[in-house]
Amino acid sequence: MLFSSIPFLFYFLPIVFILYFAVPKKLKNLVLLVTSLVFYGWGEPVYLFLMLAAITLGYVLGLLIEKHRGTPLAKLYLTLSVAVSVGMLGYFKYADFFISNFNAVTGLSVGLLNIALPIGISFYTFQILSYTIDVYRGDVAAQRNPITLGAYIAMFPQLIAGPIVRYRDVEVQLRERTHSIEKAAYGARRFIIGLSKKLLIANVLGELCDAYGRSDDLSVLFSWLYAIAFALQVYFDFSGYSDMAIGLGSIFGLKFMENFNYPYISASITEFWRRWHISLGSWFRDYVYIPLGGNRVPKICWLRNIFVVWMLTGFWHGAAWNFVIWGLYFAVMLLIEKLWLLEHLKKSKILSHIYVLFFVIVSFVIFNASSMSDAFLCIRNMLGFGGIPFASAEGIYYLRSYAVVLVAGIVGATPLAVRATEKLRQSRGGAVFLTIAEPVVLAALLLVGTAYLVDGSFNPFLYFRF
Amino acid sequence: MKNNDNMNIPAETLNRYRNIAVVCLTAAVIAVLSFWCWFKEENTFSESERRVLKTLPELSWESIAEGDFMAEFESYTQDQFPLRDSFRSVKSAASFYAFGKRDNNGLYIAEGSVSKLDYPMNTAGVDHACDRLKYLYDEYISGSDAKVYLSIVPDKNYFLAEKNGYLSMDYDRFTDYVRERTDYMEYIDVADTLDTVSYYRTDSHWRQEVLAPTVERLAQGMGVDVLAEYTENTLDNPFYGVYSGQIALPLEPDEIKYLTSETLDGCVVTSYDTGEPVARDVYDMKKAYSRDPYEMFLGGADALMTIENPNAESERELVMFRDSFASSIAPLLVEGYAKITMIDIRYIRSEMVGNYVTFDDQDVLFIYSTMMLNSGSAFK
Repeated sequence: MLFSSIPFLFYFLPIVFILYFAVPKKLKNLVLLVTSLVFYGWGEPVYLFLMLAAITLGYVLGLLIEKHRGTPLAKLYLTLSVAVSVGMLGYFKYADFFISNFNAVTGLSVGLLNIALPIGISFYTFQILSYTIDVYRGDVAAQRNPITLGAYIAMFPQLIAGPIVRYRDVEVQLRERTHSIEKAAYGARRFIIGLSKKLLIANVLGELCDAYGRSDDLSVLFSWLYAIAFALQVYFDFSGYSDMAIGLGSIFGLKFMENFNYPYISASITEFWRRWHISLGSWFRDYVYIPLGGNRVPKICWLRNIFVVWMLTGFWHGAAWNFVIWGLYFAVMLLIEKLWLLEHLKKSKILSHIYVLFFVIVSFVIFNASSMSDAFLCIRNMLGFGGIPFASAEGIYYLRSYAVVLVAGIVGATPLAVRATEKLRQSRGGAVFLTIAEPVVLAALLLVGTAYLVDGSFNPFLYFRF
Repeated sequence: MKNNDNMNIPAETLNRYRNIAVVCLTAAVIAVLSFWCWFKEENTFSESERRVLKTLPELSWESIAEGDFMAEFESYTQDQFPLRDSFRSVKSAASFYAFGKRDNNGLYIAEGSVSKLDYPMNTAGVDHACDRLKYLYDEYISGSDAKVYLSIVPDKNYFLAEKNGYLSMDYDRFTDYVRERTDYMEYIDVADTLDTVSYYRTDSHWRQEVLAPTVERLAQGMGVDVLAEYTENTLDNPFYGVYSGQIALPLEPDEIKYLTSETLDGCVVTSYDTGEPVARDVYDMKKAYSRDPYEMFLGGADALMTIENPNAESERELVMFRDSFASSIAPLLVEGYAKITMIDIRYIRSEMVGNYVTFDDQDVLFIYSTMMLNSGSAFK
């Protein structure tokens, strides 16, 4: 089920609210678990069993790891947990990628499995992994209540597109949490802003990207327009989802980690990755990079660690070479920065921002390409080497048609609006004005978003495919 | 004094008020719309979009397991949403006026007229259409004494799009492309007999009352005299064309005017849509007050129909392969013919045409709008 859909907003969500706030405290996790399973089963009825199996295994192995902590058996159970989680991902997400590459290399024609990717598998397997690893490390106690652990793994607000919530971050909240008007208001605010990001910006820019994909009238201008539009689309799509997840969490009394922090204002790629998909970056840091030795190892091993982590980061996003290359592209960029460029970037703020935006925009061209040759073609067109005109009728038309949304997207990708609101709040008149205006604006956004849903077609979140 | 007190409300209190207002207003919007969704009576048809709306899908274990129920339920909730047309208007207005989009779902307003982008040229569609026309010619007409003509009716975009900065097909290339593939027909160019005002503002079709130059051009091309005196009548029913509902913005309705004459009064229209001949009037006044008043012209575009003119001065016959544009122009050609046979291969397979029409020495006019040719996959 999509957050940005009528069934979710006007059927599922109100029922969940009624049930959740009607039941006593001790039953709230059960309501969250059951409704989350309905939420998941709505889109993937067959894979509901897969999720239940994953929860059960995570629960049992967590208990066994804790019981045998400090013994080889604990390591065995952890290995089993990692093997099962990675195996699930490997089978459901990567099997056909490996088979087709095997066929390409050997000339054989092993049949593809053509398995539909279970939605959110990349997210919930990582949550299970973080749980069992943390239990093994002794960072958290194993959860004895299967309903509580199930509610953590399957929790619908962040089930299918993150943020990747660590068990240790919500362990206490799962047991004991409070609900308040402040939290509910914050949650409603974040949810509506996220919904608006998705419906009013990301989906609209998605139409522009689709138009570029269909076009026979390419130009340098149109290629840039597409690349910028996609970079904004993917940000507003994914950060919009994260806002909605964090907002819903807050309404249910749970505090999820922030997943985005205005990444496009970064002055280096290193900073960009501290602001982009924070929960994934920190997951790989804590569960792959540091266990491999991080940077406290000989230089050659450090280089290896960086390449391994970024190759996995790319591969996590999808079973295709362009994702692997996208990850390695950032590995190279980060190494160049760490070894040489970072110092120079500090000299010019403007140039460093231009540098980041250029390379990030190019990276998303690779990310969104159906193949590497398509990516190179688009980059060549952007650089003016494609033998195409600077501007074309379509490029000019779409620039004029999407100018306001693009500007709104660019401004919305910076903290300008938040800072302006904060400044307004500090003045007495501004605070009074905001007290009246904010609820009205949020309700209006919700209604306009609903209007886009009523008129719109199916627009799944980009990160659902990961 | 009271105002002064209000201005001194502590920031914390203001925050609390704001939070309460945010929660209450958000909850109210969701609750009201949710209850309305749950308990609203189903609509079966959208007058504005002229289409059947989805009704509640059948619930079964199988449909749930296959995921069909969920997919259909999503469409159902969109179609049955309370105040659906108003929400569509909000979206359209936000799109045009707040976000400055040039078009909304491909529809745009220029020079007070609504049009739908028909861009780019769909070569595959045009090829399919041309293939079907060639089939008809080869199968039924080639070798007969029939004289064959082609006329392409430019859609509104021809006059509006490029001039107003919208994406526009290269119409010259389009026409050349079709003519190259239909070189067995004599081409009658009517584009310069039309302009923006030749079309309804809220609909895709042309207005019968301004088609005299176009009729004259077609008649000249086919060597037939169609001069006649007509009386202009105005339908007392506002005409909200098909684009009016699609664009979902408040628009002034069009006025349908239709031409009558003694000859037309004496004509007999017969539709063979059901297999059996059904007589009807040239202007179907029942349809004039239906969902699509444009269908008053010959009662709409049927697969096969004839117009017989008992007062004709010659025995000449015309066969028109046509789309809906022909419904309003055919009555103005009847003066020169004893019988006009109209065939719409969107509704009858080309392979079946020979069962109903024999080609010998008729005039045969293929008359299609650019929109129809560009989406030629509709041709059977």
